[in-house]
Amino acid sequence: MQIGVQTKNVVYDSNPGEGFEILKRSGFTCADFSLNSYLLNSSLYKFERNDFFSMSDTELENFFRPHRDGAEKAGIWINQMHMPYPNYVPGAEKEFNDYLWHVVAPKSMKICAFFGCRNMVIHGFKLAYHLGSEEAEWQQTAGFLDLLSPMAKEMGITVCIENLYTGIGGHMVEGPCCNARKAAERIDGFNDKYGAEVLGFCFDTGHANLVGIDFEEFITTLAHRLKVLHIHDNDGIQDLHQIPYTFTKTRENTSSTDWDGFLKGLKKIKFDQVLSFETAPVLTAFPDALKQKTLRFIADIGEYFCEEVQS
Amino acid sequence: MIISCFPTGIVNIKHPGQGIMDLSGAGFINVVLDMNLCGQAVELEDSAALNACMEKFFHEAGKHQICFSAAYAPCLPRNTKCTDLQEKLEETVSECIRICGRTGCRYLVVRPLFAGLPHGVEWDVNRTYYLRLAETARAYNVMLLLENQCRDMGGHLVRGICSHGETAAEWIDRLNDECNEERFGFCMDSGVCNICGQSMYEFARVLGRRLKMVILRDCDGHRESAMLPFTCAFQRQSQTDWLNLIRGLREIEFEGLLALNMTDTAAAFSPLLRPQLLAMAKSVVDYFRWQIEMERFLEKYPRRVLFGAGNMCRNYMKCYGEKYPPLFTCDNNKTLWGTFFCGLEVKPPEALKEIEPDCAVFICNIYYREIEKQLRKMGVESPIEYFNDEYMPTFYFERL
Repeated sequence: MQIGVQTKNVVYDSNPGEGFEILKRSGFTCADFSLNSYLLNSSLYKFERNDFFSMSDTELENFFRPHRDGAEKAGIWINQMHMPYPNYVPGAEKEFNDYLWHVVAPKSMKICAFFGCRNMVIHGFKLAYHLGSEEAEWQQTAGFLDLLSPMAKEMGITVCIENLYTGIGGHMVEGPCCNARKAAERIDGFNDKYGAEVLGFCFDTGHANLVGIDFEEFITTLAHRLKVLHIHDNDGIQDLHQIPYTFTKTRENTSSTDWDGFLKGLKKIKFDQVLSFETAPVLTAFPDALKQKTLRFIADIGEYFCEEVQS
Repeated sequence: MIISCFPTGIVNIKHPGQGIMDLSGAGFINVVLDMNLCGQAVELEDSAALNACMEKFFHEAGKHQICFSAAYAPCLPRNTKCTDLQEKLEETVSECIRICGRTGCRYLVVRPLFAGLPHGVEWDVNRTYYLRLAETARAYNVMLLLENQCRDMGGHLVRGICSHGETAAEWIDRLNDECNEERFGFCMDSGVCNICGQSMYEFARVLGRRLKMVILRDCDGHRESAMLPFTCAFQRQSQTDWLNLIRGLREIEFEGLLALNMTDTAAAFSPLLRPQLLAMAKSVVDYFRWQIEMERFLEKYPRRVLFGAGNMCRNYMKCYGEKYPPLFTCDNNKTLWGTFFCGLEVKPPEALKEIEPDCAVFICNIYYREIEKQLRKMGVESPIEYFNDEYMPTFYFERL
């Protein structure tokens, strides 16, 4: 089992190799490449987009070659990356959504393959409000996955759906992929259909905590379908992406996030993939001078998790 | 659908007269027999204490012809450290069943045992517990309702026993199978669903006919308060997902008990204002019932016409146009007369004077009262109903 972390706030386009070296020195051997940083969700929800993904395949490869080479030189394996999201914006022009489906998504897959990365995390569509049910919502996501799956099969990539939340009056409630049983059935259905492991799951601890999901039960239900992790902590109210064990809510000062259940679940299913932290905001909260030590601390927690899961 | 209200926060168990009078005055003729009025399970000395405690309450309720369709058994705090109270709880709940039997109360909500139970044994322990209770419940003709729970995780409330709709449905089915009768049903607490960030549409849909009671309460999604629906709002939005609750209950054609629990709101208000608050609360529950039963109003009339040719009319046609087709719509906007909107001819309001007496006019415009007044003044004698599209099964991506 290896330990990884997001590249966001560590690896910069100006000198990506340096960022990967920092990760390596901090104790990581893997990285979650933040491809979504190149087309921000905050812009997409405003129906705005840049032309980053309009570059040709060759141009994109040239752009990311220093990143790939830098990671390789530092001894960091890009085991997972995050596709820009959303891939469908309700209310946007057809051309806008077509661009997300037919340009951003396939090019993201090609970039993933270029990095030799095996897992691409995507967000399911948030359409239950309009369409009336989670099932109807899933059908739209399934259509998108049908677009990606042949590519995924050819490239040897597993596309991972992630448990998400949505907001109502500032209160976070469950969004797509928060039902582990359904997720497992759907993943099996896709993989049977395409005759390859084209679909898997990315369990996001922070999102799960926001909507009170039982970590152990969720992970156990997913079992081998769990390919990727987004490990981070929050106060159960906002998606803060902080370091595990940060939050308590009583004077007894015990963790208000079920890390014990998380580890038990991983142990039960004999999880042997990467313990990947999605804690980029921590790096802007701490002063730059403490960045390396902060990363080291995150990696130390990863090592502890690793020992607990493998014990 | 039966409407009921929890007395907690309203009725003082030692002096229940005024609280019951306020409930009755607001139009609540059905009250939940909440045994927690006498204290939580850990505070009760024995079953005799429970009976003595409720005596005055029953006496006062009788004076106002208040009836009880459901009761709520004393329970343990979610963060309890007591793990040895199973025997006492069982004894107390058994007494509650007997009280239900004596008072004609059909349902008793009994929370699952949880204290000290590790993952994996919850079903086995609770199966034994519930099946033992079922024997007494059968003797007194009471249906036991399980309820969705949250679990205290260092002060953070997360999903607990029966908080997964599919698991809850399985529990009910297995218990009923073992009893060879429908002795168990489910009570969905909207507050717990909200705290656990769950879609109440999915929850209700999965439970279907097993769902006998719904507790209606608002909260901020983090702390376990019981507030009047629509009062816990932020940035002009309610913090509880009422849309999915209504969608779900409408879809399963819920006919059970809708019980308002606004303990915290009621207790926070001065007793001087409580009669007005309770009148408002009754209107809120009536509104929920109206929304949930929306389709029943549509099917009540053999023919119907609409008033309004805008977004609400469009939503009507999208969700109900096929099942309950209107003859036409009308609008005050002259420029629309003679045109077609969503397949309906738009006529002037005057056309409503010529419709058959059994044909209802459904107003599809938020200025309901103003339009109703206009139509009555015009001499329209047909039934006038309000249609509302705040909680539709589906929505268009864009408004017109």
